[in-house]
Amino acid sequence: MSTAVIRLRRRLRRRGIGLLRVYVALLLLFLFLPLAVLIVFSFSASGQLRFPITGLSLRWYREVFATSAVTSGILASLEVAVVTGAIVATVGTLAAVVVQRYPFRGSGVVTGVILAPAALPGLVIGIALLNFFGDLHLTLSLMTVTVGHVIYTLPYFYLVLSARLRRFDPALEEAATDMGAGPVQRFRLVTAPLIAPAIVASAFVVLALSWDEFQITFFTIGDQSTLPLVIWSRARLSIDPSVNAIGTLMVAGSLLVVLFTRRFIAESYT
Amino acid sequence: MGIGQGVLIPARRGRLRQPARAGRPRWSLLLLLPVGIALSLGFVLPLALLFVKSFETSLGYGQVSGHLTFSSYVTAVTSPLYRTVAVNALEIGGIGTVVTLLLSYPLAFFIRFRLRRGQNTILLLIMISLFAGYIVKIYAWTTILGTYGVINTGLERIGLISQPLSVLLFSKIAVLIVVTYLSIPVSVLILVGSMQNVDRALLENARDLGAGGLRAVTSVLVPLSATGIVGSLAYGFVVISGDYITPQLVGGTTGQMIGVPISDQFLNIGDQPLGSALSFLMLAVFILVYFGLSRLERFKGV
Repeated sequence: MSTAVIRLRRRLRRRGIGLLRVYVALLLLFLFLPLAVLIVFSFSASGQLRFPITGLSLRWYREVFATSAVTSGILASLEVAVVTGAIVATVGTLAAVVVQRYPFRGSGVVTGVILAPAALPGLVIGIALLNFFGDLHLTLSLMTVTVGHVIYTLPYFYLVLSARLRRFDPALEEAATDMGAGPVQRFRLVTAPLIAPAIVASAFVVLALSWDEFQITFFTIGDQSTLPLVIWSRARLSIDPSVNAIGTLMVAGSLLVVLFTRRFIAESYT
Repeated sequence: MGIGQGVLIPARRGRLRQPARAGRPRWSLLLLLPVGIALSLGFVLPLALLFVKSFETSLGYGQVSGHLTFSSYVTAVTSPLYRTVAVNALEIGGIGTVVTLLLSYPLAFFIRFRLRRGQNTILLLIMISLFAGYIVKIYAWTTILGTYGVINTGLERIGLISQPLSVLLFSKIAVLIVVTYLSIPVSVLILVGSMQNVDRALLENARDLGAGGLRAVTSVLVPLSATGIVGSLAYGFVVISGDYITPQLVGGTTGQMIGVPISDQFLNIGDQPLGSALSFLMLAVFILVYFGLSRLERFKGV
């Protein structure tokens, strides 16, 4: 190849990378435009969503906390997320460890059933549970919401944890057996400490998904609303700029949480 | 057929796995009992009961009798009302899913292969946009697309339009924009995950052998990241065409999808058998789509 061709190709390549950079910047702009709009309008003095805003105020933030609806929504969401996380982490870890370490005939079917809820829209899981709880004459509450969240988050927990378990060296467990450890002792002294960080990281995924879940919750909620349901009741009925203030607080909150847990996130992608 | 078959058709993953180790404790299957109970009571049984419900008879005002019939399925298939929203769901789901993939793939490529530092920063930014709140983000789009919203005012200021574009909000376009927006972050994460195992050197080899940048991506990276592509398409299609909230908030009359009438049947005095029948017809379409996508993955993977 002549040097001219190589030089031309190199220049085209550089231009391609330049175009890619511009594209990435535009796409990130698209992803963050709504968040920027949310933040700007949350400080608007006006009750109308006209652009550009005409004055600054904190009235929408005062309105957020004027009633206890948002605060109790946050508490309800936290309660559901934590209980869901605890149940999914227990049930999901047992399943992932058994299928990963001791594959048996039919373990593919087990995996398939565990992952199946992720292949269905939240709507179908929601109405199926509503119908089921109705048949049982159960009163809808945060407990019925939690059932839905467990089913919804289990596939993701199982996927994330299994991917991590695959990286552990089974020789460590075999060494424990060779040194005379029974199955319980081996799990307590070798397996559990090895996989604990992976369980914590996978449980974070569950918390995040549960925190923002709406589509199933909509059908399984009782008197007490979770935060997404509180936001829905405000966003649906009329123009209520306090939604912008709630959204800004949520963005700030997720920023803090993501920064706090970045070590786990970074680990799962590198 | 014959000997060649085993080579041409990849064995299913399960068969390649090594057999169970002899050291497996007999009681280990008992550890699957909790997950079995949770899934049978929380998922399999409710779904089965919903399936039964789809054959029951509605007496109106939310009442149902146990008389079994196909009439809900007949209504679901023949009523033009449901056909329109079903077609909308397929159309918005199909277009939204493909657009999501096309928009996400270059970003995933950039994150995986073009960034040496700062990879985690972009991933964190995407996580933040993901966790900012589902309803909140849809609501923000009403502020952007509304009559006096960011886009209309912006376009008027620079003189491109003299009257606000009313088609922007409460329309099919609005639904399409919002659902695409909502599914990009997860799609990017799925794609980056599938590219993690692709060796950077493979792309450079393709270049050295004379393939242009784009050619190297399409002929080397795309087949190797087929799992992520199929995952992104499957995820997007289910999440988008099963969405019953976005159409209610930004869809107006033209942007409604099948999820909205399904959810309506389960509120107050709806026709639950009809809602159940509609949702199982929707699931049947999803199964067909999954089947098609798994064929696509195998085709690309070989």
